[in-house]
Amino acid sequence: MIRQTVCALTAVACITGAAWAQDKQSIVTVVKVIGVNWFTRMGEGVKEFGAANASVATSMVGPAQGDPAQQLRVIEDLVAKKSSAIAVVPMDPSTIEGVLKRAMERGIVVVTHEADTARNTQADIEAFDNTAFGARLNDRLAKCMGESGKWTTFVGSLGSRTHMQWASGGAGNAAKYPKMALVDAHNETFDNANKAYEKAKEILRKHPDIEGFQGSSAIDAIGIGRAVEEAGLQHKTCVFGVGLPQDAGKYLETGAIDGISFWDPKDAGLVMNQVAKLLLDGKPITDGMNLGTRGYDKVSVKKGPGKGVVITGQAWVDVDKSNYKQYPF
Amino acid sequence: MAFTPGPLVRAKDWLVRRPSAFTLLLIVALCAVVGGINPVFFQMSNLFDMARACVVVGLFALGVLIVLAAGGLDVSFTAIAALCMYAITKAVLRYAPGTPIAVILLAGAVGGALLGALNGLLVHALQTPSLIVTIGTQYLYRGLLLTFVGTSLFMNIPASMEAFGTLALIDRVSAQGTRSVLPAFVLVLAAAAALTWWLLNRTLMGRAVFAIGGSLSIAQRLGYRLRTVQVFVFAYAGLLAGVAGIVHVSSNRMASPFDLHGMELDVIAAVILGGARITGGNGTVAGTLLGVVLVTLVNNVLILVGVPSTWQKVIVGSFIVLAGAFFAIRRSR
Repeated sequence: MIRQTVCALTAVACITGAAWAQDKQSIVTVVKVIGVNWFTRMGEGVKEFGAANASVATSMVGPAQGDPAQQLRVIEDLVAKKSSAIAVVPMDPSTIEGVLKRAMERGIVVVTHEADTARNTQADIEAFDNTAFGARLNDRLAKCMGESGKWTTFVGSLGSRTHMQWASGGAGNAAKYPKMALVDAHNETFDNANKAYEKAKEILRKHPDIEGFQGSSAIDAIGIGRAVEEAGLQHKTCVFGVGLPQDAGKYLETGAIDGISFWDPKDAGLVMNQVAKLLLDGKPITDGMNLGTRGYDKVSVKKGPGKGVVITGQAWVDVDKSNYKQYPF
Repeated sequence: MAFTPGPLVRAKDWLVRRPSAFTLLLIVALCAVVGGINPVFFQMSNLFDMARACVVVGLFALGVLIVLAAGGLDVSFTAIAALCMYAITKAVLRYAPGTPIAVILLAGAVGGALLGALNGLLVHALQTPSLIVTIGTQYLYRGLLLTFVGTSLFMNIPASMEAFGTLALIDRVSAQGTRSVLPAFVLVLAAAAALTWWLLNRTLMGRAVFAIGGSLSIAQRLGYRLRTVQVFVFAYAGLLAGVAGIVHVSSNRMASPFDLHGMELDVIAAVILGGARITGGNGTVAGTLLGVVLVTLVNNVLILVGVPSTWQKVIVGSFIVLAGAFFAIRRSR
């Protein structure tokens, strides 16, 4: 009897031991699209977290094109492989609700970024309040335009909730200025600089007196900037958008783009993995806690639309011609 | 008393014989409607922008035309263009920043032709429908690009490409102080159209292309070599795609490996709307160019007309379906 118990216990110990040995936690970060500078920078944060935490294997995957259906397939693969945690930046949050639900049912920790409507997530991380960010960007645009004139908004895709929130936040802010008029809002660019350029040209043709552009996709401002520069209007128009200093630099120099705002994707990558790790270890996430990364040192934690929480930082960075070189990415 | 057909029947017959006339009618009707809604449409700057937007699509479409005429189908041209443009731009920047544009264009043409020739050889060797082969090579070329060449966009393209992209044929400043430019690279499309027309209408190869596209068994009995023709048409489509890629980077003033993706169907739609048959054996350069103008027009006037952004895709899709339906009905008679 005793011998049997010992045997059984030994067996159990062996099995758990084996499981322990191979059970290095894996956190996989799924981005919208692999290889663009923005997500390459995010990858640095993912790597850094992995290097600093020996017990965690971090990696980053994503589709080769910005396509919600392809991103869905990538996540389905990860659920089948059963990673310990998935940290995803959804292209279109509604597309992947089902697969995230399945992931959680299988015991996988799910963290999202830029998707505060996602119901099937344990924690959604927002660099900042999107409406406030859009309003902030628009406030810079309004100052540049002298608080009057026609302006318009561009979005990478109409299904991208954050882009739509920034654009609406901008519109909400501009409503404070009776002399500012929003025309032909939400021009869709499909995250393609050439499309942004063609649409900007068309807007310039329809409204030759337009004074302001607010872009959302990381390449909107680049496309708009080129159209403005070619038309010789860099001193008559104000272009503000979201983007990376390195990409927008050429047009910041000439004045075709007047300013950009962004959050550092590297920090977002770090924080996503940090939160995934906390959840894996069963630690609580509390309002006002410090996640140890710049801009996320005193986060607000609110109940999200589903069972999870929404974690919001204040991690925005505003740059213009004078200071963009301080950000080498 | 002999029966003479009424004018309506005659008009219909004339349209059936000249599909590109219908495309032209559509273009004229569309211009009239758009210009009626917003007179801004008739500005010179609009014409310049249309011409600019047509160049890359037009180069692709001429390549698709010659493949379609030979009874094949190619969807890998955007991947060929992306691979050529990105790899060549990167190489020039790194190893020979002073390379003149003529050499860069030539490199694009040669690189594209080689990748296209590989398509042709595969289509011939595998005896598979070319659609399947080129779907495969599209993934292959794009995969090679993203895996081995690079994935990040860069804004600092070689000076000669920048100069080529900004070189103006006509440069006007409007009363409001807005510059509008007709870029010199529209000449690339003109040259490619002339060359393609000459190939299809004045050479033995052109005759072989239509013969094989029309009826393979008869063409083979006549002694046309299928392999030569297949390799040629795909290589030619690749050549035009490589050149289109270089033009795209020059005009965009940035190189992004993700650009051009997703244009395949737009381009094929343009060629079909230009009157070429998807089953092969016919198609004209003039018709194809009209089809390109039509598709570009629909894509670039929706803001002018005031269509809200959420509706734009619906309009483009419906337009292609309706125009495509007309061609299908025309053929079934």
